Amino acid sequence: MSTVDMPFDDAPRAADSAETRADELVHKQLIKWHFSFGVAFLLTSMTAGFLVSLNFLNLYPFENIEWLNAGRMRFLHTNEVAYGFLVNCFVGALYYAIPRMTGKPVFSKKLGYLIFFVWQFLVLATSLGQLFGFAQALEWGETPTGFRPGSWDLEYIPVDFLIELGAVLVALQFLTPLARSIHKKMYVSQWYLTAGIIWLILTYVMGNTLPEWSMPGASGAATVGLFIHDLVGLFVTPMGWGLMYFFVPIILRTPVWSHALSVIGFWALAFFYPLNGVHHFLLSSIPMSVQYGAVISTMAVEIVVTTVIVNFFGTMWGKGYALRTNLPIRWFYTGMIFYFLTCLQCAFHTSLAMQKVIHFTDWVPGHAHLVMLGVFAFWIFGMITWLWPRITGNEWHNRRLNQWQYWLTLIGLLIMFIDLTAAGLVHGAMLDNLSPWMSMVEALKPYWGVRTFAGGLILTGQVLWSYNLWKTARTPKPYDYRVDLVQPEAS
Amino acid sequence: MDRFGSIITAAGLGCFAFAFVLSSLYPWMITGGSKPETNIAVLAQDVSPEFRDLKARWPVAFDAAYPQGVDALTMQQLVGVSPDDARRGRSEAAWEASYAQALRDGRDSYISEGCWHCHSQYVRPVSNEDQRWGPVSVWEQDNNSLQRPMLWGTRRVGPDLTYEGGLRSNDWHAAHFWRPSEVSPGSVMPRYPWFFREGWQVRRRIDPEIAERTGLSGDTSYALPGVYDSQAEAEAALQSTRDSLPNSLAAESERLFVEQGKGLNHRGLSMLAYIQWLGTWMPEPEPEAES
Repeated sequence: MSTVDMPFDDAPRAADSAETRADELVHKQLIKWHFSFGVAFLLTSMTAGFLVSLNFLNLYPFENIEWLNAGRMRFLHTNEVAYGFLVNCFVGALYYAIPRMTGKPVFSKKLGYLIFFVWQFLVLATSLGQLFGFAQALEWGETPTGFRPGSWDLEYIPVDFLIELGAVLVALQFLTPLARSIHKKMYVSQWYLTAGIIWLILTYVMGNTLPEWSMPGASGAATVGLFIHDLVGLFVTPMGWGLMYFFVPIILRTPVWSHALSVIGFWALAFFYPLNGVHHFLLSSIPMSVQYGAVISTMAVEIVVTTVIVNFFGTMWGKGYALRTNLPIRWFYTGMIFYFLTCLQCAFHTSLAMQKVIHFTDWVPGHAHLVMLGVFAFWIFGMITWLWPRITGNEWHNRRLNQWQYWLTLIGLLIMFIDLTAAGLVHGAMLDNLSPWMSMVEALKPYWGVRTFAGGLILTGQVLWSYNLWKTARTPKPYDYRVDLVQPEAS
Repeated sequence: MDRFGSIITAAGLGCFAFAFVLSSLYPWMITGGSKPETNIAVLAQDVSPEFRDLKARWPVAFDAAYPQGVDALTMQQLVGVSPDDARRGRSEAAWEASYAQALRDGRDSYISEGCWHCHSQYVRPVSNEDQRWGPVSVWEQDNNSLQRPMLWGTRRVGPDLTYEGGLRSNDWHAAHFWRPSEVSPGSVMPRYPWFFREGWQVRRRIDPEIAERTGLSGDTSYALPGVYDSQAEAEAALQSTRDSLPNSLAAESERLFVEQGKGLNHRGLSMLAYIQWLGTWMPEPEPEAES
């Protein structure tokens, strides 16, 4: 298909000069750097995850090397994904989205470079600290406090507090254009991004101080549960949805279906999502009233989720062919289907009857992979796939590799999710029926084997894609953005 | 409600604070906030026999890690010391101090090795857990400094450790940390060779008669307590063991020899102290309120 003969409508050409002006507000170099490091950390994190999965098959290659031990490698897997990959890529996308939405540049380009270097240093300091024995006992936040557990004896870089500073700098960088926006009314994206940036600061302070220095046992657990949930629900989710509300209408070239639904979606997320925290420790010694509250609000979240999903599928109404022709849109909507699925799972998971079986089992990592990889990473893959030729100015080295990444990741994830879910049921049943411990472990090993295979597929997809990103950035080949515009189907 | 300021105050601060009060402060007020946490010095008041056993088995590493001075007496040395003797009190104080240190060191390793990713520390009232592990957990038992940060865990690839203390011997744990699959075939737990140090040991070859009866090789031997830094120290220990044997056991003396071997180091000792402590401490029950 020749790019020149395509029947374009007039809209994009009329918008060209506005497009150029908006483009001048964007610091492309910073976006490129953040994306590059984000993808690099994604690769190291997935490699770490793959290695840890080998440990479950008694095939771990570095079992005699202290700092590469499987237990410590597991810290690397989750923390590099959260702080190395997700944060870098979200910040990269914010450098694109926020100036274009608000018509104002970010606070300062120099601050941008400072944030970039500080953040990469912190992610590396986190990984090294974890490998050399300074991890914190806070799930999803094993970033070293730098202090001896529960005390004020400093023994390593206090990464936690520096991350907090980094988050404040990020807030300064992006809240400035949001506050000075040339538009009087805020678009729903801006609500999500504004609130998400504030929530990151608050969540991080709360989770990294209270359970460590003032709340023991049950109250610490309640706060840790709140931290895990807020980090995903009040930082990653608002960033994700904020950027979806920005990118989807732009790529589909259509307004959001219902503004009213987006209002409901935002406020209900803000209200119900953080109340879910304690559902990570149900049937524990945390007071039952708190547990029941978490169960009910988790179920309420599902209603919210449905409004947002309906809104996005309404937006796509009549343009479903974009799923076939436009890869970023396909990433986005696949992610949204998984988002609906994971949230539907949550509503069932929190029933105490189901907790009895699935808590402590492999079902939970299955769920976690579906949400972190299947939703947020998919969205980021879509954003980077859409932005990369725009910020490098180069046509893709090989577009087929992007398709390979999509299918390998999707198939790998589906296998992993179904496999771990099934493993969770076996695991839960064998815990319940008092099977001997080792016969349970032996029963789970085939599932763990399949999980490793699925992880291999996913990792391969990312390696192909990273290679493609690298070659695209390195090979000058003019990019015509009109190739990727969603065109009405020829009737 | 769609202005920058209202988003920041109502959503950013308001909703966060509301949830924080309900799901963190409120449970804290009911549990830990209503009763001060028990500190490590108090947790260490009841020194476990397993901890004393660590000193007997790995005396050199133990003394290097937790020097107790002459006050601390072993169980053998306490035989014949009257209950009122001041030496008993001084000995207990020395033991408690080193136990408190060891518990803290062990808990730190438990965190930094990520043990809590695969082992849980709470028992639920469902799934027959009280039959498999022990009494259902109550918040009072976790209201202590070794549970700050809390170590409940969220997954059970390995067994729950709430009541692990005293279930297995120190030897079992040492062998298990060295290579878990040796004592628990098929285990997927990583090995922890860095909990061990190289040294020299006195070993005893088994009695030929026993070898014949059991079908074991005549070369089979086992290590006597103690792993020494140098061969000379091990030889000296061998000599003193020989000297202490009565003449009737002269043949026994011939079966002792010195060889290179491994024993727990500082980290291994503290980890064992911590694991053997789990579940051994319970808070005093609240006195019944008079009505």
